[in-house]
Amino acid sequence: MPPSICLRNFSRLSIDAAAHSSSASRLLHPRAAFFSTSSTRYATVAAKRKGSVLPPKKGVKSLNTKKSKKAAADAGKRPAQGERKAQRKRIVLSNNNALEVSSLKDLGKENVLSEQNEGKVMGIPGDTVDALRDVEAFKTTQGWSLFRRPAVLMRKEAVQLARLFKEVEDSAAGQQKRTIRRILSGDRKSGKSTLLLQGLTMGFLREWFVINLPEAQDIVSAHTEYAPLPDSQPTQYTQDEYTANLLQQIQKANGAFLLETKLSTTPNLPIPLPETATLKELVALGQANPEASWPVFVALWNELSQPGRPPILLAVDGLSHAMRNSEYLSADVKPVHAHDLTLIRHFIDHLSGAKKLPNGGLVLGSTSQSNSPKAAALDYSIEVAEARQKSPDDIPQWNPYKSVDARVMESLKDLHTDNKNFDVIKVGGLTKEEARAIMEYYAESGLLRHTVNDGFVTEKWSLAGMGNIGELERTSVRLRI
Amino acid sequence: MASRELSRSVRRAFTFLGTRTRPQCERISQSRCISTTAARHAEVTEDVQEPFSAAPPIEFKDEDGGSGKDGKGGKGGKGGKNILRTLRVVPASPSYFSAKPTFTDDFLSLSALLRKVATLPTIPNAEAPKVAWKTIDQYRIMTNEPVKTQRYHKMLHILRRLNCIHPSLMPAEVLQTMLRYKKANQPGDVKPKPGVIDELGRSKGVGRRKTSSAVAWLVEGEGEALINGKSLSQFFGRLHHRESAVWALKATQRLDKYNVFALVQGGGLTGQAEALTLAVAKALLVHEPALKPALRRAGCVTRDPRKVERKKPGHVKARKMPTWVKR
Repeated sequence: MPPSICLRNFSRLSIDAAAHSSSASRLLHPRAAFFSTSSTRYATVAAKRKGSVLPPKKGVKSLNTKKSKKAAADAGKRPAQGERKAQRKRIVLSNNNALEVSSLKDLGKENVLSEQNEGKVMGIPGDTVDALRDVEAFKTTQGWSLFRRPAVLMRKEAVQLARLFKEVEDSAAGQQKRTIRRILSGDRKSGKSTLLLQGLTMGFLREWFVINLPEAQDIVSAHTEYAPLPDSQPTQYTQDEYTANLLQQIQKANGAFLLETKLSTTPNLPIPLPETATLKELVALGQANPEASWPVFVALWNELSQPGRPPILLAVDGLSHAMRNSEYLSADVKPVHAHDLTLIRHFIDHLSGAKKLPNGGLVLGSTSQSNSPKAAALDYSIEVAEARQKSPDDIPQWNPYKSVDARVMESLKDLHTDNKNFDVIKVGGLTKEEARAIMEYYAESGLLRHTVNDGFVTEKWSLAGMGNIGELERTSVRLRI
Repeated sequence: MASRELSRSVRRAFTFLGTRTRPQCERISQSRCISTTAARHAEVTEDVQEPFSAAPPIEFKDEDGGSGKDGKGGKGGKGGKNILRTLRVVPASPSYFSAKPTFTDDFLSLSALLRKVATLPTIPNAEAPKVAWKTIDQYRIMTNEPVKTQRYHKMLHILRRLNCIHPSLMPAEVLQTMLRYKKANQPGDVKPKPGVIDELGRSKGVGRRKTSSAVAWLVEGEGEALINGKSLSQFFGRLHHRESAVWALKATQRLDKYNVFALVQGGGLTGQAEALTLAVAKALLVHEPALKPALRRAGCVTRDPRKVERKKPGHVKARKMPTWVKR
């Protein structure tokens, strides 16, 4: 075989390279080193026998320990953007597979505060369910999706709450309007948020004006924009988007009242508003213009403070988030205390008693055990209040080696004194009668396939840690074997 | 060396003279000594001899008188033979000439005893009183004889048969004989103190499992449970653990009759829960001893002795070996 370099010279010498292009290129670019000058394409490649596996090469590890060699097959369509979060946050309030409970009676305006309800499971009427859904009172962790429709057990703490509603309403007729403040505390899964929801239900059914901050964490976790409030000393911060959203919730939940009530004052707003506007238009203004949402909220509050307006129910869940520094930073890169956020401050002022609800009302704060950052002052104050109820001789002392959050301690100081308006409702375990009622409801809904007798109720009651309602549901409904 | 030898001889002569008057048994004094220390006589110890009775004196006269009728002539040779025959010492036990005389004696005496009491009514082996017999090693040490295992087991067979005699008809002789073959400590010798219910109505039980230990107190109540001051659901997140902790009560349908409060420490949650099972069961047995079979069926009586196996040198874990590498 002539060396390829000679051939290359030869082709360069040829006058018409194009004429020889086919043969020359083949010769010029040999694909393999051959011994013969005949073309390689005639050489037949030995066809690989099918199914035969070559023996492993020497010195090469042949053991293949991989479980699945194939790449993961196409897992199907991926969820669209935001779909996963929507799935996670979805609130399902009915289950068509659950049985209708024939004996279930609804709560109504007349019977919601009745003490006859104690120990009974009562249904929540449809429009109240809608209102509760609007104020985000239902949580994803609660078991509403198991049942045909939402119903609540009127446990003794709920009846206690109903009594407070009655007290406030009784005082509304007289001159001295009462503002009652309560903190709900208790073990994990003991039903604090559900009790708060029951309070909201009572508020809606009794046609109070209901403002609910569904989760204090959302306000302080620095997930919404914030801006310093002008002319505030020390600086406070407004959260326009969040406030606008809150106004929307208020408008949806209390729409009827807002629609029929006209402005009675002239609010100081950055955006003009007609004199004869209804409160609904005022709130709609705040929704449409988030930068004006805080002035609108203040104006709405002023309107609600006018005489002749309904009592107000203020509620917040996850209180310990509101009792510490927020995740926001001030202009000089210092953490902003949660009490410096206008919405939290508004709530705390009413919880601590610094401001009163002029038409009377109820301020409810619920603690959480599963999502609660350390708030030593709050925990201590709750402990003191519980000790005052249980054994007044044995009040715990503040640990002097702990740093105290003075603002929180100041706002909760009424818990340390004998103040009837501010107290703690300890949400404990159910009694056996209540446990029996709720288990009968489970059984009638078709979720509990067992005869509900004394032995069974006691067994579940004990295993649920002396009637912890969340554990009771878990052991008797969710962990069914 | 020679001078020292001389001085010793002189001293010996002196002492000999001094002690001459007292009759004394001859002591072999050291004549040659490598040690350089001064010679000392061995301490005279008073050996206590076992009571020894000599064989009775042989009465040759009697023998003669007995055989005197033969006549005077041939009495010399014949009488001597008779005497010799009489003089043959016969051992007390016929097994004296076997390799294991004590064992053989034991075996034969037990066989004889069994033959004697064989007609007595018996009870099944399972119902016979539990006896811990001596092990073969203990028996070998006792007899100082190389007893074979199989032979010893044959003897044990007889002993077990003797043990199966109906207890109300058991002869005292058999009991006395069996005592020789029993261990010093018998099962059931150590009886635990019976639990008591104290003045507040509490009964206490202690249980252990893995590395956890639990103390539980049981009072009559309505099914409340506190573990280290927390409720059952606060202390145990898993339902399984909660059920294990009060399993003794649940399995006997006593969950609504008692309140439990317990202290538990050490180990993990599973160990703590199962230590509580045992503790609660023991405390329940104080209140209601008749529940023992039911609790045993529920698996609440026996302590689970399993523990983590120790790691061994050369192993990755207790048993796992390092991966094999070719080179």
